[in-house]
Amino acid sequence: MDILGFYPMWYVPTFGSAFSIAIIATIHVMASHTSVGASILLAYLATKAYKENLPQIYDYIKKYLLGLLVFSYVSGSITGPGIWFSATVANPRGISALIHNFVWVWAAEWIWFIAEVTLVYILFYTLGKIDQRSWLRLAWTFAIGSWATMYIIVGILSFMLSPGHEKWFATGNILDAFYNKNYFPHLLMRSSFMFAIAGTIGIVIASLMKKDLPENVYKSIVKTMSYWGIAGLIFGSMFFAWYVSTLPERSLVMLSGIVPKWYYALIFTILVVLLAHFVITAIRPTVAKPYVAYPIYLLIFFLGVYPEEKIRETIRKPYVAGEFVWVNQIIARDVPAKGIKAETETIKEKGLLQLNPFVPEGLRTITPENKIMAGKAIAILQCSGCHNVTGSSGLRPFGQKFAGMTSEDTVYNFLANYLTPQNHPPYMPYFVGKDEELRALSAYIADMISKGGSVSAKIEVPKQASAQR
Amino acid sequence: MSMVVYQNLIRWFLLGVLSFMLVAGKLAFAGQSPEQVGAMLKAMADPAGAPFFPVVMQILQVLTWALHMLFVWTSVGGLIYAIYGFTRKEENHQRLARAMLELSKVSVSLAIVLGVAPLLFYQVIYDPLWYASANLSAFWYIMFIVFLLIGYYLIWFAYFSRQKSQMSTLFSIGGLIFLLLVGFIIHVVNYQALFPEKWVEWYTSGGTTMNHSGWNIYAFNPLRYLSLLVFPSVAVTGVFMMLYAWYFGKREDFEKDYVEFVARLGTKLAIFGGAGWIVFHILHILTLPSDWNAKGSIFTLLSVLGLLLVAGMVFIAQKNPIKMAIPSLVAGVVATLLLAVFREYLRVASTARFGYSIYDYKLNLEWLSPLLFFGTTATGLILYAYAWWMAYQAGRRPKGQVYEASEAEHHLGDVSVFIVVLWAIVFVGTGLIIIIKNYT
Repeated sequence: MDILGFYPMWYVPTFGSAFSIAIIATIHVMASHTSVGASILLAYLATKAYKENLPQIYDYIKKYLLGLLVFSYVSGSITGPGIWFSATVANPRGISALIHNFVWVWAAEWIWFIAEVTLVYILFYTLGKIDQRSWLRLAWTFAIGSWATMYIIVGILSFMLSPGHEKWFATGNILDAFYNKNYFPHLLMRSSFMFAIAGTIGIVIASLMKKDLPENVYKSIVKTMSYWGIAGLIFGSMFFAWYVSTLPERSLVMLSGIVPKWYYALIFTILVVLLAHFVITAIRPTVAKPYVAYPIYLLIFFLGVYPEEKIRETIRKPYVAGEFVWVNQIIARDVPAKGIKAETETIKEKGLLQLNPFVPEGLRTITPENKIMAGKAIAILQCSGCHNVTGSSGLRPFGQKFAGMTSEDTVYNFLANYLTPQNHPPYMPYFVGKDEELRALSAYIADMISKGGSVSAKIEVPKQASAQR
Repeated sequence: MSMVVYQNLIRWFLLGVLSFMLVAGKLAFAGQSPEQVGAMLKAMADPAGAPFFPVVMQILQVLTWALHMLFVWTSVGGLIYAIYGFTRKEENHQRLARAMLELSKVSVSLAIVLGVAPLLFYQVIYDPLWYASANLSAFWYIMFIVFLLIGYYLIWFAYFSRQKSQMSTLFSIGGLIFLLLVGFIIHVVNYQALFPEKWVEWYTSGGTTMNHSGWNIYAFNPLRYLSLLVFPSVAVTGVFMMLYAWYFGKREDFEKDYVEFVARLGTKLAIFGGAGWIVFHILHILTLPSDWNAKGSIFTLLSVLGLLLVAGMVFIAQKNPIKMAIPSLVAGVVATLLLAVFREYLRVASTARFGYSIYDYKLNLEWLSPLLFFGTTATGLILYAYAWWMAYQAGRRPKGQVYEASEAEHHLGDVSVFIVVLWAIVFVGTGLIIIIKNYT
């Protein structure tokens, strides 16, 4: 085997290619959780409007639906595929592993996507144009169909963290992969917190319509949003505790040691702010103000969802999919049921530069002339998933990590002892490649540190070496 | 002008296109051998294998792509007409422009959601092509999402300002530019994917570097772009206008004069758009590299015949556009399907040069997850049938009138709620059983 199926590498200095996933995913989580939560809240409100004969509630529902169309069904429906797009370029082999296991599951989710998208338009356009009973039925199918997109995707997200069980590696059974240990707590946690997100934007819309709604209707809506929001926060926190108890050992180590503490502080702050806001609006619905509720909604993005997404990404490491694909796209363990073989030994024996088809010929064999550039190529191929390998700022930068190490030997001795199968930290893959590749990597790092910890990301194959081919 | 002049003009035109491709494509003249390219493609195919017969993935990919494109075309075509209509003073044009803007707005949503499936099925069997090409132009691939977001919001702005035609025109133009850019990016990724023999040369600039910035674009074929995106948008939106006239023509609050105006205009657009579509489709076929052996294929021929069928149908439709709306739609769907088959055939023809065949894709057959998909599809179809039927009925009533569902419709409604709930219970229930089995 002289080639491994690596793809052209995309390297984004400072931020890292995975940053694009984090931003897009955070927007998507906001939009999708707003939408799924709202679909249930609106179906509930429509039932109330029908049973208690409060037709004014429909005016509110129509506004909320328009809000969903403009935010969730633009930002959400684009950033959904957007996560997939960004993963395709940040980690093609990781997303490929997921798709080749879960294609049908995603396809099933797609059926619900179509239901969601067409129903939200149909609900918007047919409100007041078809009889209430029929509309109510559509509203409930929209709600359950929306939640279906969540109960499907959560299985795949949980698998990304861990299959949860050794069994899947032996059986390859999709059910063992999908319904893993983490599935239900994860699903219930999201299914609870989404009401706090949808409830907050629900209060924004209600407070904007305060003048147009009769007082009893207005109060009823705000109270509904607040009660569901409070329940969502309480149950969400409980399910979060359960979720943590189902995490694999390495994730727990990272939660307690690696994840920055201020992430927890941010999340705790937003939970308290949300709870306080809901309690106040539940007691005195008239104090709800759009200029208070809307900034709180935006804060959920920065203090709640973004740290949550970052934590989820961190505790998955060193893997990106199913505890067999590393974050640097190397397959690190066998999956006998699927006939998947670990690549680590092959790379160690033949060298990463030799096996990656997108490495220029002139860097495949290390020579004194190309050593630094070969080292840079290795850094980009093997380390840039989590590190800024050409600078001192941004994503866990080499410039800082290796500060002071200006000699190749120092770097080599450090790496050769640190990134081994025995000693590597639980969140990081160990180095795989030939010894001379580790030497080249060390030479590159020592070189960049001695140049002030920052060099150009460009790779230039020395003329002599490129002429050899 | 004499025949010779025409021939020369065509020759120069084709030469121009070729030179553009050479420049834009940075064609490499030295590279890997076909065997090496074949080995690379095989190594890139995911070791997990396909979980179901590749041919099924292929068929689903072709079908769902066709569905996706119908709405891509009405997104773009709706905007093109809206921009034109808003600049015309006649009320009929203004009114139709607003309607087409609405069409574009809804179509973008549908195009996005329908676009997921073809890409999904494609990635299972053509992962080497897609991931390699996307990563060659990685930043542009991300910009696809950014541009789509901007474009879609501009369309919403145009929609919100539809009563102020000047403002709405400006937003529509912005929206159109971004949609065309999005189309350009996806075109580039699809097109680059067809040249595996050049990927390494492109990425390494002939062995001198690694172009890891993701800002490079290596190949673009304007004829393919025009024939797959721009001209069909005009033609299909024309057919859509005919359908619009057919559907709303029955409503009392739609004046006859307006309905006829829309139907006639639709036919005209379909004819002109269709003619351009045929011309550029044939020109695109002429640019296919000869070593693909694809120019004379039956699939190529059928794709041309499909377009001729549409052109013929809309030509006949001129006499009675409303009556011919449905037959024109059927012809359009047939042509789109044949085009989808042709487009897929190009991948087969290109990769066959390196011994890559999706039919040899490693198979890790399993039945449970396809069962989940087809079960969900059955559930979804019942729900769609009910929801779309109700929407269809509601849209047929004049403004202000409430549609009262019949007993049969209420019954179908109950069935759809029941089956959606039942499916959720089955899904969650299966999970509980598996987890109890595996973890207790």
